[in-house]
Amino acid sequence: MADFVQFLGLAFVLGVPVVLAAMGGLTSERSGVMNIGLEGKMLFGACVTAMVATSTQNAWLGLVGGIGAAILASLLHGVLTQVYRMDHVISGMSINILAWGGTSYLYSPHFTDRAFGSTIPVVPREVFYLLAVAIPAVIWVYLKRTRGGIRLMAVGNDPEKSRQMGIDPIRVRFMALVATGVFCGLAGAMIVSNTGRFSEGMTSGRGFIALAALIIGGWRPVPTMIACFAFMLFQALQIQFQGQAIFGVMLPNELWLSMPYLVTLLALAGLISKNSVPAGLGKA
Amino acid sequence: MIFLILGCFALVVVLLQIIGVAPGEAVQAMVRGSLGTARGWSGTLREMTPLLFAGLAVYVGLRAGLFNIGAEGQFVVGACASAVVAIHVPGVLGWILSGIAGLIAGALWAFPAGWIKAYRGGHEVVSTIMLNFMALQLTSYLVLGPIRDPSKDDATTPDVLSPMRPLLETQFDGSSFRLHAAWLIGILLILGFGWWLKKTVQGYELNATGANPKAAQMAGVPVPKVTLLAMCASGAFAGLGGAFHVLAYEQRFYNDFSPGYGYNALGVALLAGGSPWALIPAALIFGILGQSASSLQIMEVPKGMTSILLGLLIIGFAVFRYRNREVNRG
Amino acid sequence: MNQPIRMVGISKRFGSVQALQGVDLKVEPGTLHALVGENGAGKSTLMKVLYGQLQPDEGTLEIEGTLRRFAHSRDAIAAQIGMVSQHYSIIPELTCLENLMLGAEPGAWLEPRSATERASTLADRMGFRFDWNEPASKLSTAAAQKLEILKLLWRESRLMILDEPTAMLSPADSDALYASLHRLAAEGATVIVVTHRLPEVMDHCRDVTVLRGGKRVSSFPVAETDPRQLSEAIIGRSMIETQVEVRVGREPMLVMRDLRIQGDRGQEAVKGATGELRVGEVVGLAGVDGSGQHELFQAITGHAKILGGTLDFLGQSILVASPRQILEMGVRLIPEDRHAEGVVEDWTLEENSSLGLHRLAPFAQGSRVNIRARSEETQKMIDRFQTKCRDRYSLMRSLSGGNQQRFVAARALAHQPKLVLAFQPTRGLDIEGTRQVYAALRDQAQAGSSVLVVSFDLDELLIHCDRILVMEHGRLLEPPADLARDRQAIGALMVGAA
Repeated sequence: MADFVQFLGLAFVLGVPVVLAAMGGLTSERSGVMNIGLEGKMLFGACVTAMVATSTQNAWLGLVGGIGAAILASLLHGVLTQVYRMDHVISGMSINILAWGGTSYLYSPHFTDRAFGSTIPVVPREVFYLLAVAIPAVIWVYLKRTRGGIRLMAVGNDPEKSRQMGIDPIRVRFMALVATGVFCGLAGAMIVSNTGRFSEGMTSGRGFIALAALIIGGWRPVPTMIACFAFMLFQALQIQFQGQAIFGVMLPNELWLSMPYLVTLLALAGLISKNSVPAGLGKA
Repeated sequence: MIFLILGCFALVVVLLQIIGVAPGEAVQAMVRGSLGTARGWSGTLREMTPLLFAGLAVYVGLRAGLFNIGAEGQFVVGACASAVVAIHVPGVLGWILSGIAGLIAGALWAFPAGWIKAYRGGHEVVSTIMLNFMALQLTSYLVLGPIRDPSKDDATTPDVLSPMRPLLETQFDGSSFRLHAAWLIGILLILGFGWWLKKTVQGYELNATGANPKAAQMAGVPVPKVTLLAMCASGAFAGLGGAFHVLAYEQRFYNDFSPGYGYNALGVALLAGGSPWALIPAALIFGILGQSASSLQIMEVPKGMTSILLGLLIIGFAVFRYRNREVNRG
Repeated sequence: MNQPIRMVGISKRFGSVQALQGVDLKVEPGTLHALVGENGAGKSTLMKVLYGQLQPDEGTLEIEGTLRRFAHSRDAIAAQIGMVSQHYSIIPELTCLENLMLGAEPGAWLEPRSATERASTLADRMGFRFDWNEPASKLSTAAAQKLEILKLLWRESRLMILDEPTAMLSPADSDALYASLHRLAAEGATVIVVTHRLPEVMDHCRDVTVLRGGKRVSSFPVAETDPRQLSEAIIGRSMIETQVEVRVGREPMLVMRDLRIQGDRGQEAVKGATGELRVGEVVGLAGVDGSGQHELFQAITGHAKILGGTLDFLGQSILVASPRQILEMGVRLIPEDRHAEGVVEDWTLEENSSLGLHRLAPFAQGSRVNIRARSEETQKMIDRFQTKCRDRYSLMRSLSGGNQQRFVAARALAHQPKLVLAFQPTRGLDIEGTRQVYAALRDQAQAGSSVLVVSFDLDELLIHCDRILVMEHGRLLEPPADLARDRQAIGALMVGAA
């Protein structure tokens, strides 16, 4: 029993950064901006959090720095897709590549001594736990009950018609992308808080799992959050029962780790739930 | 737009200045390392080979309106499958069977994404990303377990029984130049595909499917079928690239086999733009970047710099092409 | 609104096209004002200027006695101007209430209860009923139009612009719409209706302004004009459209018996259609948009799911034939949505010329593309209806809508088609283009083909077709022989009143 509670707790902790990133994806994609660059934004967030926290020796300033960096990356996505009208997928990919290269550049010997000391002050993890549960609920209320919420959904559904109703779609999308930056920055900072240090590529694909959860959750905040935690159950299983038989069967770790991806494929194939993509996604 | 390009350029210069490297020297070092010597050329062509295949793979998809981000996974799965064959079957027969194995494995790995896109309407970008992760998990499981060579320390298969020797091997100014048949096959494949696309009815239908699927449908093109076939063909090319990488260069399969050839291939295909022939110079540019990474490291330029360059290159280029057309209509 | 709206000397240029040239418009407060003209006359452009969606190159705009300049629709909305576009601006993902409020929410925090209250009051005033929490995707076309009217009221618009408001409505719904508009005008609202239907102008509007080729031709009270004078003003010369000489078809080309077709949303879109098309005749298919014409065309070209019945082409069943086989048998289509279905805009005209014909001679030799033959064919298609373009290597995107339509029509008529299905073949064409296309369709029929034309303009069909069929709610009807060309009888069939 204690094992089981510990197991659920593990899944929750693992799920927190994924939920935060998924909420970043949700605000962006609900506004119609396809976002496969979540991973890159988290990575930027994590790297800058570590750098700023080390150099100022202040965890909260680190958090602010990380969020700021992720917002900048998110705004770059906005400029490329909205101002230069670049294809959303290409822009997202480029940001991932830039993030990988940029953080690797920062994490080189030129900077490590100064910026990635062994003691990084971190924000207490409980803060992130709270946010991971609170943010989806807040977004849910926001979409249902506020002016900004229905405008966000309207723009994501049909930017042209929204413009006719006197809404500025570009403005709405940039606001959504700032939110994406905030959430991805939080996700990156959480990962740093977890390990107490930065390392190259430390987000290890969580941004893509977040994207997958978004699809399973049908772009709705609370189901998406649940999907994130559900995905992390598989990872928790793998960690907790490494090399042991699970439910009496001995299965390779890699199979457990593949489960989120497999489930997402099935969802994309419409075998789990109806595909409910925002109608204006990736347009304009 | 000029502003954006200049911005990219300035960023690179500033990043180099910060770490105390003169941009001019960096460029010199890159050119010297990749094109200055016979050895450098050999390395550049070697880096170029997988990009020819994977770049073609992505390009085939783009023509049919598919964003095959899964070239990485298809490449790795193809390499793994061909290695499994080539460590058991020797000789020319081994090469042929192993090539076929790579081809089929790549196509199979692309199939779900093609099917989901063609018949279920699920976005291929997300499905191919998922398949990439699954490919990594699968091959890592295999190479850590069933197909691992127990006599070696790291996770790798045994060497293939008969590796492909270079087609051409000469000494030149004191360093050796090697050209592999795999490179030549990649070039020929691209030329052949370019011809096919322009001159055949099937190529026309592939183009139509990518350019306007609804109009293609009305014109009697079986769009879902073409989409599925294009995705599988794309996977097959990537898988074949993996097979040649094993046979010609690596001679075995190991964990973390690809340093991101499949992702760089996206850049290659995007850079090539409208014309398939342009894949060749595009692959050369990426090959130069790949080969010169080590020369830059000698100058203490962080290895991330190459990725930054790639990212900016893609952005700079994509701003000109691949603009979202929906609103341009006004 | 107590003072007239004045637009003076409005000019607007798009690239090389002068869309508006010194246009004046004066609309009296509290009246219905009609803005009429052919496609491309500049009606929509002028209204977009008034609604702030476009900024004029020259000219002034005066509302309530003050000069205004709108940089966005937002500014126009703030000046109590509202517009209902032809295709509506309802977001299907939102509820009816959210759509009603969108862009004019009372505050940052929505209060559904008080909003519903106000919405219901507005609806009661117009005699409408809505389930406010229902998703807007479930609204019928007529209900969506009503919601658009309520949106204008919600925003307290005093000037209402309606762009082709009846284009997608049945006659009964159109009448109801005008009844609402009259009530609003009586309450002091000013209404501008953009339309091409003269009966609506004559019956409902007080004044009318005619645009032609981007210029204002005339403007007068409706009471002082008649349809004949009005149509002369629109076209620029008197209508000398005489009825064509009716031909009787020969042996059957396409025969359908009790054909039932599934629509996009799984509904039975065509319910037991029975009829035939004969060699040598041009048949007009009349009906309100969405009565099953689309699905019928989809079924004949092999793109729709057929639920039952028979469909024979030249004595051979094509129920299970693929679109490609049907094309090879000689069926050609001028599609409904040219942009989406008829052309590839990023391709040259030459590449577009073989779209759909690409597997047939002379475009293909075996599985090889015959590039030389393709070039020659392209030139013939360009010449046939005088498509205006630089040369055959011009991108399709660079052509105007009317010229694209000319090219698409020429392609459908290339190489002796057996059956031509034409969905609004004259969309975007001027009078002369329309005449040419119908003449070509008639020649094609004379040469041994049969032609089926869908149009929402009954008069156009009556002028150019040998026989008229009607679709109404998925049923295929034929007027009785003695009323075969009776405008009223056919109109009644269209709305299910017969």
